[in-house]
Amino acid sequence: MTGKKEKEIRDLLVKALQKGQLALSEYESRKVIASAGVPIPREALVQSRDEAMDQAEKIGFPVVLKGSSPELTHKTEMGMVRVNLKNRDDVGGAFDELSGKGIRLEGFLVQEMVEGRREFVIGLTRDPQFGPSVMFGLGGIFTEAMKDVSFRVAPLSEDDAREMIGEIRAAKLLDAFRGEKAVDREILVRALVGIGHLGMKHEEIAEIDINPLIIRDGKPIAVDALVILKAHRA
Amino acid sequence: MELFFDPRSVVVIGASNTPFNLGHTICNMLKDYLHYQGAVYAVNSKGEAVNGCPGYSSVLDLPEAPDLAIIIVAARHVPGLIEDIARKGIRRVVIESAGFSEGGEIGEAMQREIDTIARQNGIRILGPNCLGALSTRDKFCCFYGVNPSLVEMNQIFESPGNISYIIQSGGVAVLVMESLYYDIVGVNKVVSIGNKCDVDEADLIEYFQKDETEVIGLYLENISNGRRLMEAARKSHKPVLLYKVGKTKEGAMAAMSHTAGMANNDRVFDAACRQTGIIRLQSIDELHSLPKMFTEMPLLKGKRIAAFTNSGAFGGISADLLVQAGLQMVRLAPQTQEKLKKVGQVFNVKNPVDIGPALPQTYLDIFEILLSADEVDGLLPLLSVWQPFVIDCLLELMKMCKQYEKPAAIYTPNAASKSIAIRKKSRIPIFETTEQAVRALAVSQMYWASLLKKNFTGEKTSCSAGMKANHRSTGEAMQ
Repeated sequence: MTGKKEKEIRDLLVKALQKGQLALSEYESRKVIASAGVPIPREALVQSRDEAMDQAEKIGFPVVLKGSSPELTHKTEMGMVRVNLKNRDDVGGAFDELSGKGIRLEGFLVQEMVEGRREFVIGLTRDPQFGPSVMFGLGGIFTEAMKDVSFRVAPLSEDDAREMIGEIRAAKLLDAFRGEKAVDREILVRALVGIGHLGMKHEEIAEIDINPLIIRDGKPIAVDALVILKAHRA
Repeated sequence: MELFFDPRSVVVIGASNTPFNLGHTICNMLKDYLHYQGAVYAVNSKGEAVNGCPGYSSVLDLPEAPDLAIIIVAARHVPGLIEDIARKGIRRVVIESAGFSEGGEIGEAMQREIDTIARQNGIRILGPNCLGALSTRDKFCCFYGVNPSLVEMNQIFESPGNISYIIQSGGVAVLVMESLYYDIVGVNKVVSIGNKCDVDEADLIEYFQKDETEVIGLYLENISNGRRLMEAARKSHKPVLLYKVGKTKEGAMAAMSHTAGMANNDRVFDAACRQTGIIRLQSIDELHSLPKMFTEMPLLKGKRIAAFTNSGAFGGISADLLVQAGLQMVRLAPQTQEKLKKVGQVFNVKNPVDIGPALPQTYLDIFEILLSADEVDGLLPLLSVWQPFVIDCLLELMKMCKQYEKPAAIYTPNAASKSIAIRKKSRIPIFETTEQAVRALAVSQMYWASLLKKNFTGEKTSCSAGMKANHRSTGEAMQ
């Protein structure tokens, strides 16, 4: 991470803390993890219906439209996500529906739709004894059911990252699998090392969830991300 | 740190002539049994002498500032005593009394008070709520309540060994020391650290780098500072074997993210062990059963194991265990099998190698063939002692292992008490079960892998042999 980028991230975190936010919005969260080397989908934060349709066209259909706000940590449950929007009209209609719900938002997120059959999770937590620790595991709806995850204490060496990737029970899913390409593990390694560094550098970050990290053509992309801030003390 | 193990003079605060006084047992141990040469003072309310140790009513009245103060009085008196100790100029203190941070808020407040005085005066503390230190070479021990007439305690000091322990429970310390007495490796030092308000596991791992210790064993109920422990373990040039109690979920309680919800301390702790080469033990028994694999045998530098048995059944069992432990039953090369065939009396020349009633030379030939085979990294001999010569063969095997720099984890499928007796009498590192032997191979390989990662391998390959000679001469010098 360059010094300039790092300062940008720190400013973003400090500002969010000053505003009393418990977490970053999805858009901000993804900005933070992207700075650590985690690949993210093409996306844009928009304010109006027209802007949403224009950006969707630029990104390329199909797209996803989401309400964006730091308070909105469980968007799907709240019905604030519309997927597989195939043209301008779809986007316009979805915009009308979401904005009609009367929920206060910082804007709308237009995002390239990423599809893949394999989903993983990357996370950061702070252990009371060992401090920032990075998690890797099976993602999506299986994360909590299977608890197939591995940990490393930050900072991680590249070897640490490689080992933890291989440690999950479902590691076979990373290889070429039922017609899907093998996952590019080096991208995962860079992402895990990067998330560890984020935890070491930024005290303001309490926890991170990147889930799902979808594999498309062997390349991982962080479709959803949540950066939780340390408890704000006045 | 040395002053905790080899002080030139000590004061036992709280030793008196009251029946069942615990401080008294420390004076007895030092004077009657260990024949401790330095001055031992007793401090008690009456200022009375205890078993020939001159008595005083205050630390301030002592004729000198002893190297070490041992406190064994009710917790509420301790903060005041630490102030006296500081004023007297004593710099090392063992607080054996209980009732501090483990005993609620008042105890915690007292512990903080002690910490502050200690820090301001450069005092180092072991405890509170501990037994303190034991050093076999220095013939020093400040454990209370030890009855030296028990045979094991007696013997521990007679034959100092090279295993050092950092233990957060007095009971486990005694169990491990007694068990080692029936094994072939001995104790160097034992520290019971209790609540570890000051000296902790990381300090001691660092300290054990510089003495005769060859293997460091730890039993911990909590970690004081995870990062410091990792740092100390990473720098350790000696195997660190650790058993940790408890899988707490304090981290998970207030978690908002899924990551934190799944990260109980145990999983992170496990990761920390993997990252730093700490060998995490599966049971307390491993604290005393595994060290001999490190001191008596070369390290296992690969995963390919050849089993050799004179009872077919054990071959099959061991194959499963090896795979579960992450090792491999090696597929013997055709030329190795050819050589085995020529030996004769071999039922099965494939792994596990199985022989019937055979002569000693057959055993020796097979050891040689297997250890010299390039495809074999280590041996799992499962040899029933059905004739006395088997013992001699095992002694030869130990020499061959050193020569080929490959280990053997020996199990003798005989009655456990018989195997233990043979181990002790003939000084052969025999494991008590097949599981234990396989586990010994696994941890040896894990340790080797951690050395590779740390780039420590150059110095370590010949560790056992070099350290051994050193250890023997130290032992002789003691006598």
